[in-house]
Amino acid sequence: MDRFLQDLKPGERARVERIEGGGALRRRMMDMGIVPGVELEVVRCAPLGGPLQIRLKGYYLAMRRGECARIMVCASNREYSEPSLASR
Amino acid sequence: MKIALMGNPNVGKSTVFNVLTGSNQQVGNWAGKTVERKSGIIHRANEEIELIDLPGTYSLTAYSQEEIVTREYILREKPDVVMAMVDASNIERNLYLVLQILELAPRVVIGLNMMDLAKTAGITIHSNKLALALNVPVVEIIAAKGQGIEEFLTEAIRVGKLKKDPIADDVPYPEELENRIQAMERLLSDTIWATKYPLRWLAIKRLEQDPEIGQTWKSIPQTNQRNRSTDPCCDPGDPVKYELQESVSLPGEALLQAYEAEGWSKDHFEMAVADAKYQYISKILPEFRVNENPVKRTWTDKLDEWILSPFWGYPIMVIILSLVFWFSFVASAPLGGAVSEAMAWAADVIVVIMQWGQMPEVIQSLVRDGIFAGVGAVLAFVPQIAIFFAFFSLMQDSGYLARAAFLGDRFMQLMGLHGKSFFSLVSGFGCNVPGIMATRTLEDPKDRLITMLINPLIPCVPRLGVMSAVVAAFFPGSRGAFIMVSLLLLSMLLVMFSALFLRRVVRQKERSAFVMELPLYHVPTMRNVLLPTWQKTYSFLKRAWTFILVASIVVWVLSSYPQGVPMNETWAGKMGGWLAFIGQPLGFDWRIMVAIVFGFTAKETTLSTLGILYGVAADASQSIAQAMTGAMTPLGAYTFLVVYMLYIPCLASVVTTYKESRSLGWTSFGVAYNLILSFIIGWLIFHGGQLFGFQ
Repeated sequence: MDRFLQDLKPGERARVERIEGGGALRRRMMDMGIVPGVELEVVRCAPLGGPLQIRLKGYYLAMRRGECARIMVCASNREYSEPSLASR
Repeated sequence: MKIALMGNPNVGKSTVFNVLTGSNQQVGNWAGKTVERKSGIIHRANEEIELIDLPGTYSLTAYSQEEIVTREYILREKPDVVMAMVDASNIERNLYLVLQILELAPRVVIGLNMMDLAKTAGITIHSNKLALALNVPVVEIIAAKGQGIEEFLTEAIRVGKLKKDPIADDVPYPEELENRIQAMERLLSDTIWATKYPLRWLAIKRLEQDPEIGQTWKSIPQTNQRNRSTDPCCDPGDPVKYELQESVSLPGEALLQAYEAEGWSKDHFEMAVADAKYQYISKILPEFRVNENPVKRTWTDKLDEWILSPFWGYPIMVIILSLVFWFSFVASAPLGGAVSEAMAWAADVIVVIMQWGQMPEVIQSLVRDGIFAGVGAVLAFVPQIAIFFAFFSLMQDSGYLARAAFLGDRFMQLMGLHGKSFFSLVSGFGCNVPGIMATRTLEDPKDRLITMLINPLIPCVPRLGVMSAVVAAFFPGSRGAFIMVSLLLLSMLLVMFSALFLRRVVRQKERSAFVMELPLYHVPTMRNVLLPTWQKTYSFLKRAWTFILVASIVVWVLSSYPQGVPMNETWAGKMGGWLAFIGQPLGFDWRIMVAIVFGFTAKETTLSTLGILYGVAADASQSIAQAMTGAMTPLGAYTFLVVYMLYIPCLASVVTTYKESRSLGWTSFGVAYNLILSFIIGWLIFHGGQLFGFQ
């Protein structure tokens, strides 16, 4: 089942499937290394709906829930099937 | 030879830059931007080298001011060599920028920093294998210990002196994308554009429909810059300015449309290009990186467990910020006192000399009561601001500032602002000047402007001092604490309201993105803390002193002419009289209005002005406030407190806002907004209070 990054609990890992929307935010995410296929781990959430701390590519990133809601993820233990570029 | 230093934020670029240039630095702003521009001239092996420290960026798109500055510098100034700094402990994302640099600049040397940090995290990088994989020279450095920095520069000079451009390996793009890039390359290869930019980069950017492609920029010689001299507040900084000469569209429009129809839109190309770069990095990564112990917990993990903890994070933040405030604004008070005393002493010495030289009394008074008293009042705050800047650099370099933004983001979201605004606003409780300057860390210009304009609504230490004296006189005992808290709550409410209101004024539609790196903690070097502290304090003084001097003289003239009359008949006193009609609806008499007018230069002078007007000889703030109790009702005092807390940013904040926003319009708007808001709120409280029968 596909889920969004914001639904993950602290300690859960997942793989990025797709980033919804476009524009500057998406480009920023790409610059920070969030591209399809990347494995992420939610480390902790700030209280009261604050941002999430995420580990990827050996570093830490802080992102708001609203932004995490645009990142569709799938379970990381599932074999990652390489989608063709045109569908991303 | 021109060498540019590039890299991600927090890779230790400024450490390398500071070691190489020492005190021989020129600090200013990039033309038209409030991004710091640092350069220095160094000499090595009979070669004069201009070293530029480009702002830290994650990418070379046009997302933030920093990225625009960096890309424009490389494109237009064409440095001979790029020194690309890479964080070994975070090499995957760092190499993404390196691959972008390699597409744009032919001569690149990689400096592999933080090898020690990587080792403690269980990562080993073989620099020679990295050099082989990318076909780019790599130098290992530990910037914090000063190791390898000189070798890094030597290597850069060697590459700069090569007769031919070295050829680095191209990023292999997947076939679908590669074919499209090549088709675009064929279209562009015969145009003059291909002589200006690397062809592959040009083709990719054309496919991404980058706005810069197709623009010709002409550099304006320094002498032609009209507003150079008319802009006394801002450092000229960048000696070269550009203006858009012409903008033409490049060939390939038909091709782009054909691709669009196939589903290859601009966004799609961007994603595909970024994706290919990351794929390439993951492919070559095993060649040079060995992850011995990937799950090893680092210092950062252990510290974050407490510092970012949902439960402990906030108390820890309160403790850290309280310590910073205590050191900056309370413990430093003797230093400020020493500065005022030194100024008073210097004034006395000069007056003695003047008396000896039989200068007229008026000039003596101007020097003693005007210039030295006025400038001294502002200078007394310089030690506080300097100590605060030092803590600011310390927190920024150590990595705590990003954590504070993480914890404070939830509150900023309520106002539609970015987590990074949090620190600026909190700084405002100390002094609004560093608060406004701290907005530099914000990427979105509109968010920056909003944060800057609401900052003065937060009462700073001097204002809190005056307010607590008045509160103590009018509301003794525990009521005082209640009144003080109510004032602070009101200020926070208004900050929140104003942030939302200003979002409409500046037409901020986008919710600012909060995608922020939480860098690893590290101990900042002494030099990295003290050098920016000195530079910031110096630039504050440099730009503020003329304004402060002029304002001090104006205030002195207004309050001492016509000579020999009581204060209410001086020009300033009359001005207060004219302004009394504004104060009328708020229940203020002319004395309060005069004090409020004079408070503009420095807010803490309000009490001493009131002291003079009420004829209190004593200097102690308590006795001045006591004298006010006879002339005002508690409700009137509360109205005064509210208006005083909000009414106008002090002179130094106005100057800083002008410098940071680079807009006279927005600065005036900010001043007017504060004035109008304070009047409205004051009126509501005064009349609302009367309605409910408060006295």
